Amino acid sequence: MRIAVLLSAGRHPVSGAPVLPRLEAQAIRLAVGLGEAHEVVGLHAGPDAAAVAEGLGQGLARIEHLTVAAEADPVPALAARLAALAPDLILAGRRGQGGPETGLVPYGLAEALDLPLIPDVIGLAPEAADRLSLDQSLGRGARRRVILGGPVLATVHPDAPAPLAYAYGRARRGAFEPVAVAPVEVSPGLAAEAGALPAIEERPYRRRPKLVKGAPAGGSAAERLKAATGEAGASAGGRLLVQPDPDEAAREILAYLRQVGVLAAPRPTDDPR
Amino acid sequence: MTGPVSLTTVFPGLVWAMAALALVQVLRRAALWRAGAAASVPWLSGLASLPRRYLVDVHHVVARDGYASRMHAVVAGGMLAASLLTALAILPPLGGFRPYWGVVAAAFGVMAAGSLMVGARRYPVKKPRLSAGRFQILPFLLLAYALGGTLTALLLALGAGGIALPFTLALAAAGGLGLAFEVRHGPMRHAAAGALHLVAHPRPGRFAGRPDTALQPLDLDAPRLGAEMPADFTWNRLLSYDACVSCGRCETACPAFAAGQPLNPKKLIQDLVAGLSPAEPAYAGAPYPGGRDAMGGRGALIELVGPEARIHPDTLWSCTTCRACVEECPMMIEHVDAVVSLRRSQTLELGALPEKAVGPVTELRQAGEAGGRPLAARTDFAAGLDLPVLAPRGRTDVLLWLGEGAYDLRYGRSLRALVRLLRQAGVDFAVLGPEERDTGDLARRLGDEATFQALAKANIATLAARDFGRIVTADPHALHALRNEYPAFGGRYAVMHHTAFLLELIRAGRLAPGRLSDVSVTYHDPCYLARYNGETEAPRAVLDAIGVSRVEMARSGRRAMCCGGGGGAPVSDVPGERRIPDLRMAQAAETGAGIVAVACPSCTAMLEGVPDRKAEIRDIAELLLQAVEAGR
Repeated sequence: MRIAVLLSAGRHPVSGAPVLPRLEAQAIRLAVGLGEAHEVVGLHAGPDAAAVAEGLGQGLARIEHLTVAAEADPVPALAARLAALAPDLILAGRRGQGGPETGLVPYGLAEALDLPLIPDVIGLAPEAADRLSLDQSLGRGARRRVILGGPVLATVHPDAPAPLAYAYGRARRGAFEPVAVAPVEVSPGLAAEAGALPAIEERPYRRRPKLVKGAPAGGSAAERLKAATGEAGASAGGRLLVQPDPDEAAREILAYLRQVGVLAAPRPTDDPR
Repeated sequence: MTGPVSLTTVFPGLVWAMAALALVQVLRRAALWRAGAAASVPWLSGLASLPRRYLVDVHHVVARDGYASRMHAVVAGGMLAASLLTALAILPPLGGFRPYWGVVAAAFGVMAAGSLMVGARRYPVKKPRLSAGRFQILPFLLLAYALGGTLTALLLALGAGGIALPFTLALAAAGGLGLAFEVRHGPMRHAAAGALHLVAHPRPGRFAGRPDTALQPLDLDAPRLGAEMPADFTWNRLLSYDACVSCGRCETACPAFAAGQPLNPKKLIQDLVAGLSPAEPAYAGAPYPGGRDAMGGRGALIELVGPEARIHPDTLWSCTTCRACVEECPMMIEHVDAVVSLRRSQTLELGALPEKAVGPVTELRQAGEAGGRPLAARTDFAAGLDLPVLAPRGRTDVLLWLGEGAYDLRYGRSLRALVRLLRQAGVDFAVLGPEERDTGDLARRLGDEATFQALAKANIATLAARDFGRIVTADPHALHALRNEYPAFGGRYAVMHHTAFLLELIRAGRLAPGRLSDVSVTYHDPCYLARYNGETEAPRAVLDAIGVSRVEMARSGRRAMCCGGGGGAPVSDVPGERRIPDLRMAQAAETGAGIVAVACPSCTAMLEGVPDRKAEIRDIAELLLQAVEAGR
């Protein structure tokens, strides 16, 4: 199997030093963990390959570098290269880390290459007949196993196994391979749009107090706590259905959506019953 | 060949034959050492200083066990004297001179007495730290050679002989040739390899009276990084492991061994010996705690470390690099260098750090701080204190190096005490503030030389831009890196430990401590101060200056036991049966002192983390501040 790991130029959240984002290092571990029989290649589109050099020390033997200007959209270049490589599995972090990050590159690639995208993967295992088993994290410890074949793009969740240790000797042995990129034609409309962007003001992030919606201003401390922890709110009244009948599940979802006001209440004539 | 006249030639001939056999055996051994990497050895100065290294430095260590010292003086002295005298008797004037044989008999007699001393350590019951196996035959070989030699020489001296002489001579030959044969695999190897090791020692500075303890820098452009197999060690290191006599002094000193972690320094060295030599007899000493079976291949090109190899990775990561084994080794073997060489290969080539150590080392590389905390937060402990920051091109007398202990809430108290003492004494001092990175000590002990060198170079560049008289630090690990390891990268500084600096302030009258006479204190020596830097007196002098009643633990000074906090052991966290700091606090409790004085952030954290502590843990600076405030 051929696996491509997408690498981006990130920054350390505290020191600001240029580093390989942790999620992508975790993606490398997942890919390398499948075994030596699989070919794993890193792929970076950006002005400078040094930004992802750490990937070589953390398990990759080879990184392909597509030279793309710093502000340019990396998706066309990546899509062209991935179409040529035709990997069976493409791994990406679910978001960047400190660098130019939109969180949309995997989605853009999946669209451009017409691939299914499995988000938030925390585990990989090969299955029979060239199929793959991917474990997804659904949050709060919930997991879902997806088994599918064919080329697929997956993003990695922070709950995946921790990155491999950086090995200086491996980084030294690893290789960068510059890959020529066909100049991407930027449509004039898009360029004009980019030029017309309003000036952006950047400010350091400041943590703001969380506002609890609908919290009673008065009342006893116990009441305010109840309101804050949601024990009395709408979220307390959920219902857990285990493997429900699809019709029943659909009715439940519709009922919930109506309850929270997303859907209008049914008109009597529309009711099939 | 029955007459006494011809026997005066045969007997010396036996000794010459022994010497020849021993030489052959040494050469067979040396063929193995040749597999090692090249090393530059100052042969001439090494040879010239051999007697001094043996009689002074080795004796200093051996004499800690008085019995072993006397035993060697008698048995080795007797054997050398007797053999040399007998060998000289091949000259006819000596061989024919009967009183000469009386002298020879006396020398052999001394050796015979020593042989009995050797036997008394092993029979009827062997001392637990000694190895069995071939070592158990040694007393018999010695005794056979000594008794046979005594009787032969006596008969020659008396001019008697006849029927008895061939038998006494045969006894001497059996013992003597047996001893010479044992030079390759047996106990007598320590004599030959030990002498050569003293000549070609990889750290000649140890014999020059200075603590030669800095790890040797690794060339990061070398084709192979660290030691993966025996051939990666330099040849004189391979020779040094052959010098091991399996006396087990290291295992009684090793904190990891005492805690039941899977490390035994003696077995580690013997594994390096056995890993090199395909014909090495089975190890017969105490195993690694946990009792791992001997496994793995042998040969100069065999992988040494791995779950299926001779040395399990847990063994490697149990070491606290405290140097207690090196301090105790009478053969002057450098165990810690071996451990770090093996770790370098694991970390740099394989990325096989222990799982829990990956995080801290990654943060060191990416953020310059093992906890991944902002460098600017290092001075948070001093909130409310006036702590000047030294700007580039600034000037100060004393640069206070805070170290990673500054992030620790508990150790912050010690640093606050130190800062207040410096203020009190009117010292012109400053810190680097957010420009201070970790010294890289943790990365280096864990084998990540690349990260250490990057941090060292960054720190040296920071320091080069500033003007200061000297560096004072309360962290002996930082002190060791700055004082002993940074010079290899071009950073040469006068570095003082805070205890030495505070003592200087007291002696100069700039601090006037009162007396805390109702306090009983025992001082725990940090490894990186006492063993790595030989500083044991200043902290004790400060304690004496504040008038506390000071009691010593059974293991103190250069022979103190580690707290378990060095060498990355806390982050590697290899499980054992006990915890090292618990053992150390139990030793402190034996003194009955109410306070354990410490002088290192690692010791503070490790010892204060002991449950059911009977004694308080206080840094020397905290005690001194208390005394100064009491004196006002």
